[in-house]
Amino acid sequence: MTRLAAFKPMKELMTRYYIEAKTAADRPVGWITSGAPVEFLYAMDVIPVYPENYAAMCAAGHQSVALMEAAEAAGFSQDICAYARTDFGQDLLRGGPAGGLPAPQFLVCSTNICRTVVKWYEVVARKYRVPLFVVLKRPFDRDRLQAAIELSRRASGRWKQILELGRSVPTPFTSLDAFIHIAPIVTLRGTAACADYYELLHAEVSERARCGIGAVPDERYRVLWDNLPIWFKMRSFEKFFEERRCALAAATYASSWAGIEDAAELATADARASLAASYLNLYINSGFAQRIRYLARMIAEFRLTGFIMHSNRSCKPYSVGMYRLKEELCRLTGKPGVVIEADQNDPRVFSEDQVEARLEAFIEAMASHA
Amino acid sequence: MFAEFHETIADIPAAVRKHRDRLGRPVVGVLPAYFPLELIHAAGGYPVRLWGAGAPIARAEAYLQPYCCSVARSALELEMSGRAELIQAYAFTSLCDTLINLRELFRRLFTKPVLGLSMPVTPSAEGRREFLCAELANLLQALAGITGRRPSPESLRESARRFGRVRALERELYRHRREHPGNIANADFYAVLKAGFFLPVEEYERLLDGLLHRLEAVAAPRVRRPRVVLSGMVFEPLNAQGLFDAVGADVVDDDLASGWRSVSKDPLPVEDLAAGIDAYLFGGAPCVCIHHPGRDRHDYLVKKVRDAAADGVVFWYVKFCEPDAFDRPQLLARLEREGIAATVVEVDVSTSGIEALRTRIQAFCEMIGGLEA
Repeated sequence: MTRLAAFKPMKELMTRYYIEAKTAADRPVGWITSGAPVEFLYAMDVIPVYPENYAAMCAAGHQSVALMEAAEAAGFSQDICAYARTDFGQDLLRGGPAGGLPAPQFLVCSTNICRTVVKWYEVVARKYRVPLFVVLKRPFDRDRLQAAIELSRRASGRWKQILELGRSVPTPFTSLDAFIHIAPIVTLRGTAACADYYELLHAEVSERARCGIGAVPDERYRVLWDNLPIWFKMRSFEKFFEERRCALAAATYASSWAGIEDAAELATADARASLAASYLNLYINSGFAQRIRYLARMIAEFRLTGFIMHSNRSCKPYSVGMYRLKEELCRLTGKPGVVIEADQNDPRVFSEDQVEARLEAFIEAMASHA
Repeated sequence: MFAEFHETIADIPAAVRKHRDRLGRPVVGVLPAYFPLELIHAAGGYPVRLWGAGAPIARAEAYLQPYCCSVARSALELEMSGRAELIQAYAFTSLCDTLINLRELFRRLFTKPVLGLSMPVTPSAEGRREFLCAELANLLQALAGITGRRPSPESLRESARRFGRVRALERELYRHRREHPGNIANADFYAVLKAGFFLPVEEYERLLDGLLHRLEAVAAPRVRRPRVVLSGMVFEPLNAQGLFDAVGADVVDDDLASGWRSVSKDPLPVEDLAAGIDAYLFGGAPCVCIHHPGRDRHDYLVKKVRDAAADGVVFWYVKFCEPDAFDRPQLLARLEREGIAATVVEVDVSTSGIEALRTRIQAFCEMIGGLEA
């Protein structure tokens, strides 16, 4: 796979973000969950820090195991979310690529992604003696909020267009690309730097689409990925799928930050109501009937040949009930599907042989289906 | 004294069938905690609480991964294996991520109606009330679809009074146990509570009245044995309930979602039902599944141990229960700072193998109470 030129500016953007978060003494730091409305914080000059994003970075850099082991040694069960364990570990060891996260002055938590984050942030709140669901004693400027929302819309609108370019055959931008380039939309939406970055990325991916350049050479299969990435397997999956001429052309997870533009209420004057509508409009926050409709629509619109569901031990809202979704989706679309058992962050519960065997069988099923 | 309670839980389907036939009310299976049973009762339903069936998982394997807790897996197993034929509808609360998705799974797999009560998380009482108003409108309508009628103000008041009184009687039972450790065997105490999951409220009230009356006459002083507080979601599997009796220890109080956390709730205020349900959900003892920043579990558990003059805490951990697992390390550290001994046992409510549990509990009780090995 040819690395996108936008990769370098994205790395620089994220490095600047983490340096600023760790060094800015004059701005408060708040820890925030990935699905919470961060625009309010940017409008109030807060530095939002995302333990989920940091945990993913740790796993992608193969540093999560040592951190999770530290958390487990401190008593946290392997039964809890591996992101949370990675976060508790980075806090204990000051570990990971940025040498640990800056301490929070408050926490913002939204259950639109899961209820687990409440438990996670309760632990952090007790440790740091900081409030959860805070009311900030800082000036709040409605115009600044509106500006942050506009920037957020610009970025997520572009992100959505980039993901939709995955419909092109061959796909110019795979889900694995999306998982790499997702970091700014998670952490920096509501800032100009983020909006500008996705303009850059969009230009590059559109050009690839226009020229018919596929991300996977000689693309034969086009597949949907459901659930979080397996962060510690990004590189080997890239190779695995490329060798089998299989492009992951769509992903439910990457689309989670592409919804803000959709909410019709955004045109209304009440910025808070419009933000609430867009943040509730998440795949993971919907019932199974809606999920099946959404998945079937993606399979049709992206002209997919099959789908992969990641049964992710760390993410129950995504995973519990998945085997039923797979059955129904196969029936509804007539496409082959597979469920693989893994974890977003914990390589110790990943069975290479088992996963590869299932994926091989799935690719064979697509071959015979075609 | 406890025979009727033990008979009920020895053959739950028989007990439920008998009462359903007598009452003619549709049976609603509640999964598992904090759904206001009063609503179901007031609408003409017969609520039963499902905290794990104690049977091996076979069919449910096809739909629930091994990393889902055994409470969820055994509820699905019960329905898939045809052993839940008496249950005409289900009612779920949003206690945790697994149960939220289990509710969706039931809706896709089965044709029985499935009710849901999503519990609000926001600290603003006004926001919670607004949210619950919307929830209630849907809930009461769905309930009427099952029972044929919506609760009337009178039936709500009567149900709230009845369930409120039952919880008050259960609290009396807790008080008796705390003040007279050893008077009630642990297995008997939890048989009484468990029978309450399945008996109609009127029948259960009658039995509890009788039991408490008879208990007044029994106050024999006992030799002081090791005293334990249990903390967790549910004290299952059933055959483990006699373990503390077998090793000669007394459970003097508990912090169980199926126990004191439910029993401690005041009568449901029904005049403003949304505000009443808010008060019901967020009132009573704190729970791992209900975010309530003003009421920390740490002080609460320490006080409970002191009040009961207990020697230690046993965390009865239903494997894969994330909310419970998140809280535990900090809670253990706090107990250690307070000089309170604690241990953790991991259980699966769908298995009957309890030998390892017995060894662990015995060792802990020997440690805290000087039991002879």
